[in-house]
Amino acid sequence: MRAGPWLVLALAALTLSAVAGRRWPRTWLVLIVAGGAAAAAASVLVLSGAPGWEWRGAFRIGGEALHLRLDALSAVFLALVGVLGGAGAVYAHGYWSDAQYPASAPRGRAWWSVLVLSMTLVLTLSNGLHFLVAWESFAIAAFFLITLDGGARAVRSAGWLYLAASHAGTLALFAFFALLSARTGSWDLGPMNAQAALAPLFWLALFGFGVKAGLFPLHVWLPSAHANAPSHVSAIMSGAAIKMGVYGILRFSGWLPVPNAAGWVVIGFGAVSALLGIAFAFAQGDLKRLLAYCSVENVGIILVGVGGAMLASTAGDAVWGRLLLAGALLHVWNHGLFKGLLFMGAGSVLHATGTRELSRLGGLWRRLPWTSLMFAVGVLAVAGLPPLNGFVSEWLVYLGLFDAVTSRGPSAWAAIFAALLLGTAGALALASFVKVGATVFLGAPRGPAAAKAHESGRAMLAPMGALAALCVTLGLAPTLAWPAIARGVAAWHPAWPATAAPLALQAIGGAQLALATLLIAGAIVAWHQWRGKLARRALTWDCGYAVPTARMQYSSASFAGIVTGWFRWILWPRLALRRPRGLLPARALRLERIPETVLELVIAPVGALFLQTASGARRLQHGSLQAYILYVVVALAALGAMVLEAGAR
Amino acid sequence: MMIVLGFVLRLALWLLLAPLLPGLINKVKAWVAGRRGPPVLQLYYDLARLWHKQVVMSTLASPAFIIGPAVAWVAVLAATLLVPLGPAGATLSFRGDVILMLYLLALARFATTWAAMETGSAFEGMGAAREVSFAVLAEAAMIAAMLTLAVQTGSVSLATMLAPSVGTSAVLLAAGLFTVLLVENCRVPFDDPATHLELTMIHEVMVLDHSGPPLAAILHGASLKLLLFAVLLTQAVLPMGTYSPAVAAAVLLTGVLVVTVGVGAVESLMARFSFRRVPLLLTTAVLLCVFALLVAWQGAA
Repeated sequence: MRAGPWLVLALAALTLSAVAGRRWPRTWLVLIVAGGAAAAAASVLVLSGAPGWEWRGAFRIGGEALHLRLDALSAVFLALVGVLGGAGAVYAHGYWSDAQYPASAPRGRAWWSVLVLSMTLVLTLSNGLHFLVAWESFAIAAFFLITLDGGARAVRSAGWLYLAASHAGTLALFAFFALLSARTGSWDLGPMNAQAALAPLFWLALFGFGVKAGLFPLHVWLPSAHANAPSHVSAIMSGAAIKMGVYGILRFSGWLPVPNAAGWVVIGFGAVSALLGIAFAFAQGDLKRLLAYCSVENVGIILVGVGGAMLASTAGDAVWGRLLLAGALLHVWNHGLFKGLLFMGAGSVLHATGTRELSRLGGLWRRLPWTSLMFAVGVLAVAGLPPLNGFVSEWLVYLGLFDAVTSRGPSAWAAIFAALLLGTAGALALASFVKVGATVFLGAPRGPAAAKAHESGRAMLAPMGALAALCVTLGLAPTLAWPAIARGVAAWHPAWPATAAPLALQAIGGAQLALATLLIAGAIVAWHQWRGKLARRALTWDCGYAVPTARMQYSSASFAGIVTGWFRWILWPRLALRRPRGLLPARALRLERIPETVLELVIAPVGALFLQTASGARRLQHGSLQAYILYVVVALAALGAMVLEAGAR
Repeated sequence: MMIVLGFVLRLALWLLLAPLLPGLINKVKAWVAGRRGPPVLQLYYDLARLWHKQVVMSTLASPAFIIGPAVAWVAVLAATLLVPLGPAGATLSFRGDVILMLYLLALARFATTWAAMETGSAFEGMGAAREVSFAVLAEAAMIAAMLTLAVQTGSVSLATMLAPSVGTSAVLLAAGLFTVLLVENCRVPFDDPATHLELTMIHEVMVLDHSGPPLAAILHGASLKLLLFAVLLTQAVLPMGTYSPAVAAAVLLTGVLVVTVGVGAVESLMARFSFRRVPLLLTTAVLLCVFALLVAWQGAA
């Protein structure tokens, strides 16, 4: 079967859904799920060995012929967009319904369709000019989705920050595509590895796509945008949209020659992103902001794989590069699935309690049993623990790094650095998600909001269940995904053709399955055996304290306190402290805030300086005609002097 | 048939020998202090007694409070199956099993801390926070140590990685791994397993609310983890692959004994560190392992 018809079907359904979105929610839902499914089907066809699809239209848009292409690399990303686009739409049907948000829900549906449609186009358009148009419409659709709830000040400023950062990236991409077309003489895109002169352009692409991917320190827009967006939007932003940046980096490092230093830079920034992203995540006290920072970490892990693959391809196509790239691509899927799941779970919590503050939540497992269960699956996956999917992709990346070290080439040093940072980041991810799971779902409710919470409806639980099931499937049967991933790798670098799954991966698949069986058996046996021995339920034994209150529980900030101290040099925690005073102290206060270090300490001062300079220059324009005439006379005199002097020489 | 027999034998070795180690450590401590101390088999008696006891659960706890210890125990047991046991070898061995072992230990940590947080107790929160925070540096040290072995042997499978010695870097690696052993198993100078009513405890305070069979699973799992680290340390330092099977078995047994006695000696001669100094010692362990890596790199060149 050919992938083309499915892709056309997907594009048609998505376009129709954008039109239908405002008026007919049910038609919209059917169309967008059909469109997502068709896009995923097209990708699966390409990834399971159908020939890649390429189509050149006869008619021109903006003077350029339409050129669509779906190869295995774009199919990897398109499958994720299709799945998350469909799942997120079903979730939105319950989460952001017309009944609750009569003003913004119709708009939200239309922009959702535009977002999914433009991401599909970004992944398939093979012409620089059209790519830029699709990229821009993708960025704008995301802006309108982030600011769907435009009433709140935090939401608006997050939206503007996103828009500004996104356009800084787009500016670099404009330069990239313009220079590319100037040097090749055409806007048409495709493999052009032979032209070595194009290599320096990679830096522009890395910056432009790095902003979108949320690479540290270009991530400044990401935490506030993902935290303040409606949760289904956060899910697709974190799950799929930032992967467009990864796609861009992969696409143009595969098609264009890259400078020799590229691999080193990408693996270095990836490793640093992974460590600092998760360090910031651990210190956060806002559920969704924590998840957003965790996305910075996961993009870092992906880019460690990508950078390692670049190093390997310049070091004589070493085999470990294939493992690293396969790990990165698999992690693109895995992170999309579990982060989508986690953001939807966070949306459920927000829906039920009305707060994202970890210090107001707690004890939700009793009132939100299904959300808790599925969130726990996401937590296990994101912490990279066996037997779920997050472990498989991280394991592939680790195996590639270890192989790079044992190969003892110059790239071994980059691999050692990356492996050490990834190990530390992995332990921090575990710490962060123990903290999240515990402060949100375990213990006693920390406030009235958490105590009166209610479980979400089926429309919200069903897509979470579907994503959780995919996480489990990819974890227990990684060999199922291997052929698809291997074709993606081959599309990036033809010297690494798709082969059968390595023996080690088959072994890890078997081990995961056996482990899952053992764990479930152990859990069931323990629960049945030991519950029978349950003498009674008693108050938590707080070393003899008889009347514990919910406020006495360990809080999110105290849980992260030790590590926050270690990362003080970058986190800059701000403390507001009012100690209890006097014999009968009335009020005491301790507030800890983790600032957006890069934004508040680097970009904001630079921006302020720029604005100051600009407002200084503004004094030249004051509306007084005489002064303007003076400017003209002075300018003419200066010009005259220059001309005379040049003539004299 | 032989495979099944070997599997059962290894499983029995791991499961039955593990509780001996804490008993030996306590005996060493008692001997140094001039006391008679509890019997070496005390933990076996404790486990048997706990197994028949009833369970008390916090009113706040979810089923995961009971399931957590079981999951942690299974995870540690699965990790032991990946570690070769001298001449008996490992049950499961493949390229990259070393990373699976590290992450199985992480899964055990996750399950223990999750179960601890179930109770909503500030004490258990403290213990869990320390456990996961110190593990950050311990994990970095473990990765560096495993990279050292990989560089030395050119392999990423535990069975071959642990066969030869690490040469000149062995001393550095031994010191680093021993420190990691102490922190991962919550021994002095990081933690004091003898008490659990102080604000500075880690492991003991995490399991305050557990009782009966789940507590037995936790205690047995902790001893299993201690044995795992002792076996790993011995084999990483000594050239196990060069001995005949009988000698290798004897060497492994002696090595584990030496490590155990060493833990007891440290506990007798040192006081617990103040909390501020713990990260310092852990960073030292990371540096030791990184230096071992550099030395191994030079040595293997």
